[in-house]
Amino acid sequence: MGVPTVYRQSLARRIVSSVNPVALPVYAWLALIVLLPNALLIGASILKTANGFMVFEPSLVNYVRLWKSAGFWTLLGRTLWLSFLACALGALIAYPLAFYVGRVVRRHKGLLVVLIILPLWISLLMRVFAWRMILGQSGILNTFLVSSGLLDAPSAAFLYTPTSVLLVFAYIAIPFVFIAVVGAFEKIPQALLEASEDSGATALQTFRHVIWPLTRRSLAIGFALAFLVTVGDYVTPSMIGGIDGTTIGMVIASQFGMSNNWPYGSALAVVLILSVAVILGIVFALCPSRGILLGDEGVKTARAPEGRTERLGRLLGGCGFTATVLFLYAPLAIIILFSFGSSTLQAFPIPSLTLRWYGELAGNAALIAAAQRSLLVALLVVLVSSVIGTAFALILHYGRVAGSRACEIALALPLATPGIVLGVVMVLGTELFSIPSGIAKTVIGQSSFVMPVTLMLVLARLRRLDPSLMEASQDLGATRLQSFLHVLLPMIRGAIIGGALLGLTLSADEVMVTLFLTGSSPTLPIWVFNQMRFGFTPSVNAVFTLLAAVCLLAVLLSSWIAGRRKAAV
Amino acid sequence: MSIRSADSVLSLETIDKTYDGASKPALDRVSFSVAPGEFFSILGPSGSGKTTILRIIAGFETPDRGRVVMGGTMVNDTPPFRRDVRTVFQSYALFPHLTVRDNVAYPLRMQGEAKGPRRAKAEAALALVEMSPYAERLPHQLSGGQRQRVALARAVVSRPKILLLDEPLGALDLRLRQQMQHTLVQLQKELGIAFVYVTHDQGEALSMSNRVAVMRDGRIAQLATPREIYFEPRSEFVSQFVGRSNLVPIRFEPAGSDFVAVIEGTRLPAITSDRPGPARMALRFESVRISPRNGVAGPSSALPGIVEDILFLGTNCEVAVRCGELSLIGSIPAERDTTLAVGQPVHVDFDLTSTQVFRD
Repeated sequence: MGVPTVYRQSLARRIVSSVNPVALPVYAWLALIVLLPNALLIGASILKTANGFMVFEPSLVNYVRLWKSAGFWTLLGRTLWLSFLACALGALIAYPLAFYVGRVVRRHKGLLVVLIILPLWISLLMRVFAWRMILGQSGILNTFLVSSGLLDAPSAAFLYTPTSVLLVFAYIAIPFVFIAVVGAFEKIPQALLEASEDSGATALQTFRHVIWPLTRRSLAIGFALAFLVTVGDYVTPSMIGGIDGTTIGMVIASQFGMSNNWPYGSALAVVLILSVAVILGIVFALCPSRGILLGDEGVKTARAPEGRTERLGRLLGGCGFTATVLFLYAPLAIIILFSFGSSTLQAFPIPSLTLRWYGELAGNAALIAAAQRSLLVALLVVLVSSVIGTAFALILHYGRVAGSRACEIALALPLATPGIVLGVVMVLGTELFSIPSGIAKTVIGQSSFVMPVTLMLVLARLRRLDPSLMEASQDLGATRLQSFLHVLLPMIRGAIIGGALLGLTLSADEVMVTLFLTGSSPTLPIWVFNQMRFGFTPSVNAVFTLLAAVCLLAVLLSSWIAGRRKAAV
Repeated sequence: MSIRSADSVLSLETIDKTYDGASKPALDRVSFSVAPGEFFSILGPSGSGKTTILRIIAGFETPDRGRVVMGGTMVNDTPPFRRDVRTVFQSYALFPHLTVRDNVAYPLRMQGEAKGPRRAKAEAALALVEMSPYAERLPHQLSGGQRQRVALARAVVSRPKILLLDEPLGALDLRLRQQMQHTLVQLQKELGIAFVYVTHDQGEALSMSNRVAVMRDGRIAQLATPREIYFEPRSEFVSQFVGRSNLVPIRFEPAGSDFVAVIEGTRLPAITSDRPGPARMALRFESVRISPRNGVAGPSSALPGIVEDILFLGTNCEVAVRCGELSLIGSIPAERDTTLAVGQPVHVDFDLTSTQVFRD
C-alpha cells in the first residue's frame, strides 16, 4: 500500500515542480480571464431558465430547441452568409490594393498603408452611423437622387436591408484584409519573381505559381480577422439592417438583455462559435502555407524597366487606390462636415457653418460624465494591460515556461472571439464573482482583449532583440535589474507605448463587449449609442468628430514614436 | 583567340546603361562575344557593373544603347521569360513553398511539359548535382551548399544555351566553394552550355574560365585568357586586382642608347625602356626572392633589406621586407625550419620574366 502513495506523492511533486513558479500569474490570468468564462458559457448553455433565473438542471434542451427551429437555421445561415460575402468582397478589393501598395508603389509607401488602415482606429459606431446618414430615407443618397431627377420620391430601399449590412461589413473588412496581406506582398523577394520569369513563366504564371502560394495564408488571416469582427457585430445590423438584416448576434444580445434567457443565449453563442470555427477551418485549409522564407533569398531590388503595360498597370492601380480611399473616407468626411453645419437636417447643401453643436456638448452633463468615465476606464485598462502585458511577455520570453507558445495563443483568444460572444462570456465570468456592473466590470472585460495586444507587441519586440545584449550587459558588470532598466526597457519601450496607445483607442471605441458590462454608467460610445437609438441630435456628429480626432492623435503619436525608434536603431 | 559574332551564342555590342538618378553610367560601351560552350567570366570589384551586364543579358534591364544578340537575332526587347537564358541567382532564389523536385521542374512546367517527362528530367538534373536523395525536401530544410546545387539543377534542367551565374559561390564557406568550383567546371563540360560567370574573386575567375573580362567603372579593363590576364595585365588596375603583387615605383635612367630601370639606387638591367622618367612596376609576391645576407654580398641587382614581418600561410610564407623607403612583400615556400626571422638582414632580388611596367 505504501508504494502507490509514495508514487502518487512523487507524481504530484513532479507536476508541481514542472510548473515554473514564475509563470503562475500567467496561468492565473489564463484560468480566470480566458478559460473559466468560456467554460461558463458552455456550462450555461446546458442549463435551463425558470422565472428569469437559471436552474441547475443540465440538459441539452437548448440545443434541441435550436435544432428544431427553422428560424434559427435561417438566421444562422444569413449571419454567416452576410459576413462571408462581405469579407470576400472586402478581400476582392483589398488583395489587389495590397499588391499595388506592397509591390508597385515606390514612394510614400508607409503613408499609403496608413491611409488604408486608419479607419480601423475610427469608432465603429461613427462608421456605421455615417452610412446610415448616407443610405437613409432623408439621407444623402436619396437627396442626391431626387434632386438630380433620377428618383421621384426618396426611396426606403437603401437602408434597413441585408444589402446595406453587406455594404457596411465590406467597408469594415477592407482595412483588416489589407493590413494582413500587404506585409506578405512586401516580403516576397524580388529575386523569386525574377527567377520565375527567368524560368520562362509569364506574369500570370508567376502570379499563380509563386505570388499566390506565398500570400494566400495571409489573405486567409485577413479574411478571418474581418470575418470574426463582422460575424460578432450586432450593432451594425441593429442600426441599419432592419427586419431582414437581423443577425444571430442581435438575438444573443437580446437573450442577455430583454429576453433574459442566458442559457438559450449561451447555446446560441456556442453554436455561432462552432460554425465560425468550421468556416475558418475550411478557409485556412484552402489556403495552406508551405515552406519558410529564410530571409536570404535576396534583396528587393527595384525593377527599372517601365514598359507600356507596366505604366498602364500603375495607372490602374493608382485609380483603384484613390477610389478605395474615397470610399473609406467619404462617410467620415460627411460626419465631420455636418458637425459644423447649422441645420438639424442631415442634407446638402449645408446652409452655414457653426460651432453650435460643439457648444452644446459642453453643456451636456450626462455626456461629460460619460466622457470622464470613458477616460477613466481607458486609463485603467491601459495601465492594467501595459503592466501585465509587459510582465507576461517577459515571463513567457525569458522564464523558460513550458508551452509558452500555447500560452500566448490561449491568452490572445479573446482577440479572436467574435464581439458578441466575448461580451456574453465576460458577463458570465464577472457575474460568477459578483463584480458589480460599471467601471470595474468594464475594465476587466476590456482588459481581456487589450492585454494580449500589448503582450504580443512586446513579445514580438523581444524576439527580434539580439539575445547577447542582455548577456553583454551582465558581462559588463550590470545586475539583472540594472540590465533591465538600462538595456531591455529602453529597447521595448516603443512596443509598450505603442501597445498603450493602441489600447487607449480600442478601449475608447469599444461597444460590443462594453455594452454588456457598463450597466447604468455608460462609457462615451455606449452613451452615444443610446442617444442614437432614442433619436438623433447633430451633437452626435460633434462627439464623433472629437473622438476621431483624439484617436487619430494617438495613432500619429504611436507611429511617430515607432518611427523615431526605428531611426535610432 | 578571337570570336566572330557569327559563331557566338551571345554577343553584346557597345552597350551603354545609366540607371535612373545615377550620375555615372553603370555600363560604358561594353562589347564582347561568348562562344558556344565557353566558360566566360566577368571579374571586377563591387559596383563595377558586372551584375548589370548579367541583368541585361537575362532581360531584367534594358540597355540605353547597343545591341544584345543571341543566336543571330537581337533580343533587346525580348522579355526574360522568352529568352533561352537561365540564371543562377546569388541568393539561389528557390521558391520556399515548392519541394526541391518542384523547384527544379518549374521551368519545364512553365513551358507546359507533361508531368511524366517533367519529373524524369528534374530527377536527371538533380542526379547531375548529386541531390537526388533530397527531392522531397523544402528549401528551408537544406544547407546553403545543397540549396546552391538545387539552384544549379533548376537552371540547367531545360538545357539553355547560356547559363548566367551571379556570384553563385559567394555565400559558401571555403571548402564548399572549392568543391563547387570543380562541380561547375565538370557540369559545364558535360552539358556544353555557355557559362557567363560573374565574380569578384579572382581565384574563381582564373581557375575555371576560358576567358575573363575584368571590369572597372562600367568598362572592360581587359578581356583575355586567364594566363594573359595573370602574366600580362594591361593596366595597374588589372595587375592589382588579379593576383597579389607589389607595385614598385621605379625610374628609368640613361644607360647607353637605352634607359634602364632603377629601384632604390639599384639598377635592373633586365628592364629597359626607350624613354626616361618615373614609372611603376608590378612585382608578384612569388617573383620576389629573399635570401639571408649572412655577411655575403648578393648579386649586383639585389637590394639589401630587413625582414619586418612573416605571415605563415600553410603552403607558403609571406615575408615583408623593408628596403630603405620601400616595403616589399615576397612569397617563399614554407619549410619546417624557416631560415628567416624578424629583424634579419636579407637580400631581395627579383624574377623579372613576367613583370609589367606601367607609365602614366
